[in-house]
Amino acid sequence: MKALLTLTGATYKEIIRDRMSLFWFLAFPVLFVLLFGAIFSNTASHTFHVGVAGGDGTVVGEAVRVALRQVPVFSLSAGTREAELEALRLGKRSLVIDLPDDSMVVSGQPLAVALYYDQGQQAMNQVLISSVSQVLHEIERQLTGRPTLFQIRVEAVQAQDLKAMDILLPNILAMALMQLGLFGSLRLVSLRERKILKRLGATPLPRSWLVGSEVVVRLTIGLIQALVLVGIAKLVFGVVITGHWLWVMSMVLLGAVVFVAMGYMLVAFAKTEESGLAILQVFQFPMMFLSGIFFPVDRLPSFLQPVIKAIPLTYLADALRQMMTGVAPLYPLTTNIAVLVAWLGVSLVLSVRLFRWE
Amino acid sequence: MDAIMVSGLTKVYGSLRAVDGIGFSVARGEVFGMLGPNGAGKTTTTEILAGLRHRDSGDVRVLGLDPGRAGNVLKTRISIQLQSAALYPRLTVLETVRLFASFYPDSLNPVIVLEQVGLRSSTRVLTSKLSGGQLQRLAIATSLVGNGELLFLDEPTTGLDPQARRALWQVITGLKDQGKTVFLTTHYMDEAERLCDRVAVVDNGRIIALGAPRALIHDHFRERAVEFADPTGIAANIDLTRLPGVTRMERHHQTVTLYTTEVTATVENLLAKAGGNGSAIDEFNVRQATLEDLFLKLTGRRIRE
Repeated sequence: MKALLTLTGATYKEIIRDRMSLFWFLAFPVLFVLLFGAIFSNTASHTFHVGVAGGDGTVVGEAVRVALRQVPVFSLSAGTREAELEALRLGKRSLVIDLPDDSMVVSGQPLAVALYYDQGQQAMNQVLISSVSQVLHEIERQLTGRPTLFQIRVEAVQAQDLKAMDILLPNILAMALMQLGLFGSLRLVSLRERKILKRLGATPLPRSWLVGSEVVVRLTIGLIQALVLVGIAKLVFGVVITGHWLWVMSMVLLGAVVFVAMGYMLVAFAKTEESGLAILQVFQFPMMFLSGIFFPVDRLPSFLQPVIKAIPLTYLADALRQMMTGVAPLYPLTTNIAVLVAWLGVSLVLSVRLFRWE
Repeated sequence: MDAIMVSGLTKVYGSLRAVDGIGFSVARGEVFGMLGPNGAGKTTTTEILAGLRHRDSGDVRVLGLDPGRAGNVLKTRISIQLQSAALYPRLTVLETVRLFASFYPDSLNPVIVLEQVGLRSSTRVLTSKLSGGQLQRLAIATSLVGNGELLFLDEPTTGLDPQARRALWQVITGLKDQGKTVFLTTHYMDEAERLCDRVAVVDNGRIIALGAPRALIHDHFRERAVEFADPTGIAANIDLTRLPGVTRMERHHQTVTLYTTEVTATVENLLAKAGGNGSAIDEFNVRQATLEDLFLKLTGRRIRE
């Protein structure tokens, strides 16, 4: 028992004194959160620049301007038709509304209103055009004095306001745990390469204690990593963690264990640290991009879907998202846990069977 | 019962018979040396005895146990220093020895062991910052601290300066005084002669001589060695083996060694011949035969070639 404690202490010292790996495992995810957080928190307070041209001095023109100014996310600017369309071309407007100059309200004769938008911004246009149309219809109803047929009451269905960071934090945490687990396994390869495993093999120290101390140290770093990331997300970006911390930390531990075992399985045959790194990267890159942590994967080609469904990172990220910030789940939590445990089992068996000690 | 018993031990790597049917035994409390050139099979034998390598055939008993099967029962009772000093790079000297001490039930005080190997003043230095000689001494400290009954030291003094070598010889003599058994390999004859109660001289995986160093030399050489540098090539011109008392001659580069049973007669005649011939004889030296001479006699080669 004394050996296990001393060895674990020695392993801590070894890793903490390795500034390079400490940077990759601790500082890098933090930088990631800060960087992405800064980018996404800007888009959250985004305002749409809407240009209005024509209709000066007409009843309709004034009514449209007044109505649009009341929409909080619209920043309104008025100018000549040419100037506003040029601004749209330059990307300074999201939408330009072109009103007729001789807008007389004549019953039964519709007024031609043109909406110009940037074709490159598909998703945003859907929202913009429908909200502008709604404003125009409202003005029409008021001006023509037609009775309202529908009284539409809009209510938020989502329980809480989700910000970009709420999705980003669990994703980055999942990614960090994967990196920690996979690349942490290289230490054992390097110990083997430098014949330290052989030297330890000549002592009465059981191999299981050696691996155990390595894993315990990884898990501790994983927990510290999670605490630091969550702390920054809370303090800097005001992310609210909805799940109970004990469950979240249990999931963090499960995720870390899965990827540690997977790492040992992948590097079992690697002769050198370099070849181990190469093998890990072959698996790590696709996992990172196909797990849905950076962009949605449902539109990727169908032949990739089985791969996406097999990747453990998909399930860890999904579990962390729904547990930490209440993002709508892709899979039930039980499915996430079952897949992760299955990966853990396979990786454990294969790494114990395949790992070469000499 | 003997500490080590080996018979018919064989280990083959591909077409190379690294260890080729060797047999010997080491008594408890004995310092036993394996002496031979690089590639003779010393390290392979050591690692098989310490349970780090499997043998292909033969019988091995270490402290009464088969090292291939005994596992940790045996490993708590023996200590080994491997030839390549492989240690955690970011631990300090003291942390390293403490770590190894924690593996053994009856370990020694790490600070005292570091004192013994002359690293007391470097306890807080990271192992990656140590010189080759210091690293070697640290590796020895990690094997000493386990306080095993039987120590395996694989080329313990390679890479050490003369002062550190002598300090280590003292440590090994001290181990013997405590009643411990030491199995060491070396390619230094003086080390084997000075430290070992018995040596096995090995070459190409076989034992070519086995016994106490003095007895081995005595058995093979009743002669003394008369050695000199021969820049003018007297040995090529005159048949020196015809000098009185000379039994054998060896020439190695410019060095001529005459083995003789009658030192005075040989030297007188040699000097007379050299003087008459006008040859220049230099670095003249009369000594006892050594294990190096024995190796040369048995194999026709020097140990370090």
